[in-house]
Amino acid sequence: MKKTLLKASVLGLLLTGLIVNNSLWAQSDPSGKKRVTSQYAITNATVFTAPGKAGTKATVLIKDGVIQGVGASLNLPKEAQVIAGDSLFIYPGFITGGTDAGITRPADPERPQDFDSSKPGDEFAGITPWRSATDQFSGAASQVEDLRKAGFTIAQIVPDGGMIAGKSAIVLLGSEYSTNVLKSNTALAASFRGARGMYPGTAVGVMAKFRDIYQNTKLTQKNSGLFQSTSGVSRPEVTPTYDAMMEVIDGQIPVMYTATSELEVRRALALQKELGFKLILTGLDDYATVVDVIKAANVPVLISLEVPDDKAIKAQKDDASESAKAQYSRVKEAYENALKQAALLEDAGVAFGFTTVGVKAGDVMKAINTMIENGLSEDAALAALTTNTASILGISRIAGTIEKGKLANMVISTDSLFAEDSQIKHVVVDGYIFDYETKAKKKKGSSDVSATGDVKVAGTWDYTSETPAGSSGGVLEIVKDGSDYTGSITLDDPSGSGKIKSDIKDVSLEGKTLSFKFDVAAGGMNLTVSVSGEVEGESFDGTMSVAQFGSFPFKATLNPTLIATK
Amino acid sequence: MKKINYFLAALMGLSFSFASAQTPKGSVLIKNATVLTVTKGTLENSDVLVQDGIIKKVGQNLSAPSGVETIDATGKYLIPGIIDAHSHVALDVVNEATAPIVAEVRMRDVVNPFEVGIYRALAGGVTISHAMHGSANVVGGQNVTLKHRWGAEDPAGIIMQDAPRTIKFALGENPTRVHGRGRGIQPRTRMGVEAILRNGFNEALQYKKAWEEYNAAASQKGNTTLAPEYDERLQTLVDILDGKIIIHCHSYRADEIYMLINVARDFGITKLVFQHTNEGFKVAPEIAEYTMGASVFADWWAYKFEVYYSTAFNAAILQKNGAITSINSDSAELIRHLYHEAAKTQRYGGMTDDEALSMITINPAKQLGISDKVGSIEVGKQADLVIFEGHPLSVYAVPQQTYVDGIKYFDIKEDADDQRLRVSPTEMVEPIYMTQEDHRCLQDVELSFSDISKSLFNTNY
Repeated sequence: MKKTLLKASVLGLLLTGLIVNNSLWAQSDPSGKKRVTSQYAITNATVFTAPGKAGTKATVLIKDGVIQGVGASLNLPKEAQVIAGDSLFIYPGFITGGTDAGITRPADPERPQDFDSSKPGDEFAGITPWRSATDQFSGAASQVEDLRKAGFTIAQIVPDGGMIAGKSAIVLLGSEYSTNVLKSNTALAASFRGARGMYPGTAVGVMAKFRDIYQNTKLTQKNSGLFQSTSGVSRPEVTPTYDAMMEVIDGQIPVMYTATSELEVRRALALQKELGFKLILTGLDDYATVVDVIKAANVPVLISLEVPDDKAIKAQKDDASESAKAQYSRVKEAYENALKQAALLEDAGVAFGFTTVGVKAGDVMKAINTMIENGLSEDAALAALTTNTASILGISRIAGTIEKGKLANMVISTDSLFAEDSQIKHVVVDGYIFDYETKAKKKKGSSDVSATGDVKVAGTWDYTSETPAGSSGGVLEIVKDGSDYTGSITLDDPSGSGKIKSDIKDVSLEGKTLSFKFDVAAGGMNLTVSVSGEVEGESFDGTMSVAQFGSFPFKATLNPTLIATK
Repeated sequence: MKKINYFLAALMGLSFSFASAQTPKGSVLIKNATVLTVTKGTLENSDVLVQDGIIKKVGQNLSAPSGVETIDATGKYLIPGIIDAHSHVALDVVNEATAPIVAEVRMRDVVNPFEVGIYRALAGGVTISHAMHGSANVVGGQNVTLKHRWGAEDPAGIIMQDAPRTIKFALGENPTRVHGRGRGIQPRTRMGVEAILRNGFNEALQYKKAWEEYNAAASQKGNTTLAPEYDERLQTLVDILDGKIIIHCHSYRADEIYMLINVARDFGITKLVFQHTNEGFKVAPEIAEYTMGASVFADWWAYKFEVYYSTAFNAAILQKNGAITSINSDSAELIRHLYHEAAKTQRYGGMTDDEALSMITINPAKQLGISDKVGSIEVGKQADLVIFEGHPLSVYAVPQQTYVDGIKYFDIKEDADDQRLRVSPTEMVEPIYMTQEDHRCLQDVELSFSDISKSLFNTNY
């Protein structure tokens, strides 16, 4: 606990430093980073103020992070910087429920000599309700930038940890010079994850331990009350765990239970029914069969944006036996049902939001479009990205729609949001405008084919990549194999020194866009790295992304071949 | 869903009653069967009438009330649903192996009603299984008694809610290996196991006293006593001492069995059943006098050191000494033919048909505390029934239909190739393992199992 306090005060000092810096810039800004103005007018854009509302041509005026007005005939103050929005589409800024972007798990404490795995201290067992996500969060992390680039303006950050990881917080994905904290202490993050090699080690132990903690928090509260009101009472023992759980048993904050499967959903609901806490279900992956249960429980839900992969479907063979085909059809049915789940929730009238845990920010729109193709309405998708999550997080008064008085959080795109080829051009967070490069729409038709013909990717490439661990590089070899490509890549061995070689897979070249994947074993995990980017002559400019770790620049140049092409 | 259920109910002549959403109950008349009641002898050419999940009449020339389906079982045998007193089917987690006592853990929290093992058990005539915690701990978690209502979506729907609480204990090699050798904590020896038990119960007595004192003080004016810490682990041990929970103890050796009998006697515990009990034959009179008997394998042993001194006559010896004796599976495979396992007591020990059948019906029911509700074909009992082609103790026996609460959950004529309730969207063919699950009841048995599968599927003879 002492350490936590110390950390908090160090953080406090840092923040004070930043504020002082800010006020210094107010007088003079040798760094050149100070904004010219904090007033902007995005004029004559197609504005969608809220899910379900039709887009209308309007101007949005913002000042100091607050929306000043939305309308066709606003008086624009001369200080306002004007952004011509004639061809642009404005939507409320997206909000993600539970996310792990920018979160670093704190190091495990060192075990004492006499450590007893049958009764470990709470901190060892993953029971750390006193921890706050704000202590584990870095707004400068590349995953945070990725999330913002995907249109997210507010995130509920969730601490990483065990069965009771700590308290989540709500932050803006805004200026690097702000703490960006909207609300700390918004929900208790809980899961069925057991502690490794100690009690409680499994979901069944976790459930028993959760009951134990809950009941003892109640008793501690009762005992503390008696101690406060009556003399002659022994001092009750208040542990950091029970102290931090008080808000939960009082119903001030909900428990946010990660429940990925239908049975976990039922287990979390059963615990809630038994103990009576407020509940948010998060991380739902497989819930088609419990939609009516969720509806009946009237509990807020944050569904996962991980769409099941179609490998099993694609692996189905035409020449299989009848019984195998019968099994294929069941897998296909299960797959199709999994894609329809979000639509089923909408049909049942459940106002769900999204969690972005376990998904790459760049894949969010693809996942949502898959849900839309499978029956989810665009309005419900937008509501899940904005108003529903705002309501689940208790921030509807300040976020979720484009209205006078709300936070200036917006997504500005080149086309209507869910249209194919729509790209995000600006994201406005807390009144700060973040600009993103947009590319001209892909040309379709015969010219495309000839373009592919011109692009040469086969050969040996030297590449460099930039990650938080530093810059690294190696050799990428691409071999043309009929109409497909194969090859390999060398990279720094994650488990030591030297280089390792890995085969690349799923190599595709569409137009000038080259993408491929490769697997790396690191720290006991098998990571799939995806690389995608554009080939321009003999140079390749792209990004390399790893689920949960964010995306990083990846550049390569093609070595001249010494073999004469026929 | 509900609407569809009502629609189906109407279609099927209202033979289903959905009065209670969690436990559907059915009505049926089974005619002209050889009824093996187990407790009331064998009735030739007899009928059993089931209404709303309860056996209403057993006799001849019964007629079906309107709307009740009649099943002709001429030439077939009808027996009470088979009860497996030791199983781990339909559990997502089996062992919370991390502490010597984990009495607070509840297996009912992790019941998985979609596990296809339930259907396979039904196909073997098993209607009730005792889903147990593993044997890594001296005092394991609280078990759950399941009724195989295949198709229930809610885990609560397959739990036998009117069964009493039971708990897993374990002696000998498993808890000493996991805790003593594995983690360097007590118990390292059989003496340590006994110490864990005696200390645990003594702590439970102190815990009970602390709460009794607090409750008495708290009701007084001007109370200055703080509430003691809540501890479901100790509270569960208190409930055992108060006779509210039946102990089911994993055990092999005669000395450890006799040790637990003495501990139980010292603490006034009478609700005690031994599981596995391979050396039970050495202490059969003691088991008969002081406990609710033993639940054993028909002929399975030598899979580890403490199981070498064994005999296939174990069940018969226990039975003849007056111990309540049942034959269990502890296996997803054996659960499919427990009737054959029971028949082995006729080969090894000369049990009568009723004695052999009682080892998989009324005796396990007694050991689970549910013999007033199930375990035999008697008027007033729950209608868990199995129709067999061939006598169930014959090697030619094949279960035809299995009923739970009067509802048919298995019919060999409607048995599809793929009976799974849930299919993964991302897994092409779900892997089939011929090895035992890791519940540590049968340590190192994987090896012998894979040998069996080799000889089963790669036959070269």
